[in-house]
Amino acid sequence: MKWALLCLLAILALIASVVLGPAAVPLGELLRSDIVWNLRAPRAVLAFLVGGSLGVAGAGLQALVRNPLADPFLLGLSGGAGLGAVLAIALHLSGPWALPIAAFVGALVALGLVYRLGLIGGAALDPRILLLGGVAVGAFAAAITTAIVALADAVELRNAFLWLWGGLSGASWDAVLVVALYAPVPLVVLLAASRPLDLLALGEEPAGYLGADVEAVKRRVYLAASLLTAAAVAVSGVIGFVGLVVPHIARLTWGHRHRALLPAAFVGGGALLAIADTLARTVVAPRELPVGVVTALIGVPVFAVLLRRWSIA
Amino acid sequence: MRRLFLAVLLLAGCRPSDRPVVRASNRIVSLLPTFTEILFDIGAGDRVVGRTTWCDYPPAALAVPSVGDGMPPNVEAVAATKPDLVVLYNSGPNVTAAQQLERLGIRTVLLDMNRFEDLGPATRRLGQLTGLEQRAESLATAMDSLTNRPLASSTASLAFVVWDNPPIIIGRGSYLDQLANLAGARNVFHDITAPSSQVSLETIAARDPDWIAVLSDSAVTPAFAKRREWRAVRAVREGHFLLLPGSLFGRPGPRSGQAVKELRALLGQHGAGAQHAAPLPTGSSR
Repeated sequence: MKWALLCLLAILALIASVVLGPAAVPLGELLRSDIVWNLRAPRAVLAFLVGGSLGVAGAGLQALVRNPLADPFLLGLSGGAGLGAVLAIALHLSGPWALPIAAFVGALVALGLVYRLGLIGGAALDPRILLLGGVAVGAFAAAITTAIVALADAVELRNAFLWLWGGLSGASWDAVLVVALYAPVPLVVLLAASRPLDLLALGEEPAGYLGADVEAVKRRVYLAASLLTAAAVAVSGVIGFVGLVVPHIARLTWGHRHRALLPAAFVGGGALLAIADTLARTVVAPRELPVGVVTALIGVPVFAVLLRRWSIA
Repeated sequence: MRRLFLAVLLLAGCRPSDRPVVRASNRIVSLLPTFTEILFDIGAGDRVVGRTTWCDYPPAALAVPSVGDGMPPNVEAVAATKPDLVVLYNSGPNVTAAQQLERLGIRTVLLDMNRFEDLGPATRRLGQLTGLEQRAESLATAMDSLTNRPLASSTASLAFVVWDNPPIIIGRGSYLDQLANLAGARNVFHDITAPSSQVSLETIAARDPDWIAVLSDSAVTPAFAKRREWRAVRAVREGHFLLLPGSLFGRPGPRSGQAVKELRALLGQHGAGAQHAAPLPTGSSR
């Protein structure tokens, strides 16, 4: 029943994001319209894939660092991506894909640094240091970014921040194809870690006694979740709240078993971002809202209602 | 207390004619390229002792030391030039900077400069402040006639794209909307009251402008033209870009008449069939 409702919601969200938009396209011409086929449809699919990836990445990271506040962007990735994008503009790298690739590389560098910091105490990846290292690397990257923007002459640099918070405006079938080929690998890695992630909730030591290869799982989960997030930021910038709120909503409804939780976070995250983006495009048309504003405006009240129901029950 | 009151009066932007000017300013810092152009145009160029890095016209202005990019103004650098007048664009961060300068005993004036209508009053005010009322008046009259003249009939449509991801376009609140109108082109986002706004790519595609206008100093079409999602816009597919150099088109000012002419020529050159209206005032008194 829960699954049927969630899938129905996701399908409705996808249909709505293809049917609704600021441009008036008659229903009869929906399938033949260039606007629908080349702009709305890829944007809807990309929103679903990115939202789903952020939901799963968030759920995985929250289990890994055993902290309910963990968000896919907390671990320094948004700072790294922003620095990458600003450098691409400052160095005049041209080409239609220069910014996304630079942001992706920036996120990977941040990921590598944070990972290295996480191993600072020895061979074991310490989740607490991972969190602190993530915040520190993110802040450092953001400081360098701001310094470059403040000192460089290029006027366009100020717009790098717009790009970083850009949302799904850059959606195209090319972007969908890239994500559709890339995301399944980390998604499968995370799903395969469902059982050890359940055990990890008991604490690292008990999880080890119960047969989980704790160190290997932690590394795999951290790398897979971060790689998912890095791809998301490259195609859609930083979109907040999906990776934070969706895993909690899924957990309140599906419980703590990751075998159900992760797929629910994927479908739920996808549905939330598809709905949020549709609202962002249509509510104030012809103007458009930043999608992160809408994800927060929808996600937080839904979360509050579920939290209340859950606390009462 | 009296000084505070005066400062409040100044900051409130009360009508310039209400206050008699005690003395003409001799050391002026201009923190907006438009003001620098106006000051040079009315013959006060030799009294400008500070400018922003963006103030690149007239060429003589480049000889004036720069006090930074002005966003926000570097109050210390401005004060170090020992000005007796600082002219700022009326915006939030500049109000704060003006208050700080006033506290140092430096006179500041905040002027609006968003639309062509603002050019005349700003020019007259700068004329009063420098004691060059006559030359200012002739420039101001030319500037006023920009907005008073009948509009050329629109035969082409365009959209000003300020940024591509997310797409940000120019609305009615900007002088660029007026510029297009005067040049005989219709801004397809004239219904948006703000100076600029984020819109969906879909909206640009649906409104189907004949031209995509971009403020750009290079002659190369912008990188987003090659992105697949932008190919949904007809003007992008057809390569109909208007690349407008920032120094001339990126600000309202004494050369706005020239900007209108050049834009009209660009539109006409490409066979969009722009109607030629009455000759435009050039604004320059030189």
